[in-house]
Amino acid sequence: MALAGTVVLNEIQKRIILLWGYKFNFFTQMFMVGFIFVGISFFMSGGKPDPELLASGLVGYLVWFFALAAISDMSWGIREETQTGTLEQMYMSPLPTGVLMLGRSIASLVVSIFMVGISAVVLVLVLGISFPITWAALPVFLLTMAGLYGFAFILGGATLVFKQVEALANLMQNTLLFLNGALLPVDRLPAWMEIFAKTLPTTQGIIVLRRVILDGQSLAQTWQDGSLVGLVINSAVYFVLGWFFFRWCENRARKLGALGQY
Amino acid sequence: MTAAIEIDGLSKIYTKRNGPPVVAVDDLSLSIPAGQIFGFLGSNGAGKTTTIKMACGLVLPTKGSVRLHGHDVQRQRGQAMRQIGAVLEGTRNVYWRLTAWQNLLYFGRIKGVTGKGLKERAERLLSELDLWDRRNDPVRDFSRGMQQKVAIACALVADPPIVLLDEPTLGLDVQAGRTVKRWVEQLARQEGKTIVLTTHQMDLAESLCDRVAIMSQGKLVTNRPTSELLGLFRQEGYDLRFRGHLDAAIVARFDGFAAREENGHTILSGTISEHDQLYRLIEMAEMQGLELLGVAQAEPNLEEIFVELLDRAGKGEQHPEDRSNGRVPHSTMREVI
Repeated sequence: MALAGTVVLNEIQKRIILLWGYKFNFFTQMFMVGFIFVGISFFMSGGKPDPELLASGLVGYLVWFFALAAISDMSWGIREETQTGTLEQMYMSPLPTGVLMLGRSIASLVVSIFMVGISAVVLVLVLGISFPITWAALPVFLLTMAGLYGFAFILGGATLVFKQVEALANLMQNTLLFLNGALLPVDRLPAWMEIFAKTLPTTQGIIVLRRVILDGQSLAQTWQDGSLVGLVINSAVYFVLGWFFFRWCENRARKLGALGQY
Repeated sequence: MTAAIEIDGLSKIYTKRNGPPVVAVDDLSLSIPAGQIFGFLGSNGAGKTTTIKMACGLVLPTKGSVRLHGHDVQRQRGQAMRQIGAVLEGTRNVYWRLTAWQNLLYFGRIKGVTGKGLKERAERLLSELDLWDRRNDPVRDFSRGMQQKVAIACALVADPPIVLLDEPTLGLDVQAGRTVKRWVEQLARQEGKTIVLTTHQMDLAESLCDRVAIMSQGKLVTNRPTSELLGLFRQEGYDLRFRGHLDAAIVARFDGFAAREENGHTILSGTISEHDQLYRLIEMAEMQGLELLGVAQAEPNLEEIFVELLDRAGKGEQHPEDRSNGRVPHSTMREVI
């Protein structure tokens, strides 16, 4: 446990230093989080944003931004570290690579929480959005992130083996934006598309988060109506699938001698 | 002497969808004694880096094994990785946006070292490498030599008994190269570490390495102590220097020797495999009334031995070190008489 804690803190410290090293990019990204949300809300409401609808949109949008960060860290991030040779150095650690990768993911999540959190507070204050804070949202959020990082592990694994996965990563980021219910509740999509959308990693999380945060439902209620059960299953499948796929890709990259190749 | 690294029947074959399989390393077996500086030489694509990466657990062998102080890299990864630190060629190996100090602490922690011990070790390494005053500067602001020093320091931060350095002086200026070389020597001689380095700089290998292995097309051409390898070729070539011009008839008596003239003297160059043969030739010269000015033994350098061995290996010779094979590589002569 102490070892895992050290690994996580080590990664968080590194990420914060690196993030601060790219201050301009960091602040631009934070501005972008807010700017895109305001822009989308403005156009979708015909120029008259409704604060109630904005709250619903903000939940989905913020989750999507977490997805953006997770996918970016696990695809572009791994590619960059392959190029610099720091990934190979990580793989020469005597610590289990599973612990190191989990440490990286948790660090990525913590930094994203910091970045998205600040943007969210600014948006809530500037747009006057009512956004009740409830602790019941925390386990739902963590479950959603578990599934999301499982999904990101799939892209990370693909990056180890194929290197050039930017197009796929872009496609997935955009698919999530348009189909995970961030902009439009999934029950308004055609039936076949709704089924597909619900299989994506963040959709079910957004549904449950909205019920808990905006509708004031308890976890027990969401469990009883099946939405939380759906999220648990969705996240578990993505996490387990992503984890094993990533480990398989690591092994494949070692066989191909591709861990340090770009 | 105990072996730091034992490589047993190691092969790496890359299969390609279109095209024949590529044999990067072919049934390599060798043992690297602890506390020595071991040079891995070979031209590009010889299989050195693949071998190093298999020793680091970064590339899976097709067959065979690597053991680091008895720990199998595949089966006992954690224990094996505690034995090594490595700086790999062609990449940065460290985070350029972090400072030297931050890099050392980061890599120390992912190698399982924490607390006061880590900070003391990092401080010692940075001081020894003359980087202490600039420990808080980002590595991107350093010169190439300083960046390489940081990479080596990071490889050593967990104090591993084995250090693998892939082209450690590549791209460094003379001064930085010397610093790295001096430090490598110190690590082996004073701290008893086993250093494995790959290099294309033969003078570096010759002056630094206790033992060298030469690879060609994935195979081991030779694996000997450097002095022994140099000695093996030193015994072969001799120059006999005579005053004045020698007639072709006299030269012909020195079977197998080639004549050339320099500054009014005639130099006969050839191979002498036994000392008795040398004395017989000197006696013969005296009987012919020739004035022998001196005898010089060929002083081969590693570069020429390397070229020669690769040439012989390229011709498919089974035992490229066999002295009866062709030309004797030498660039300088050592006066013996």
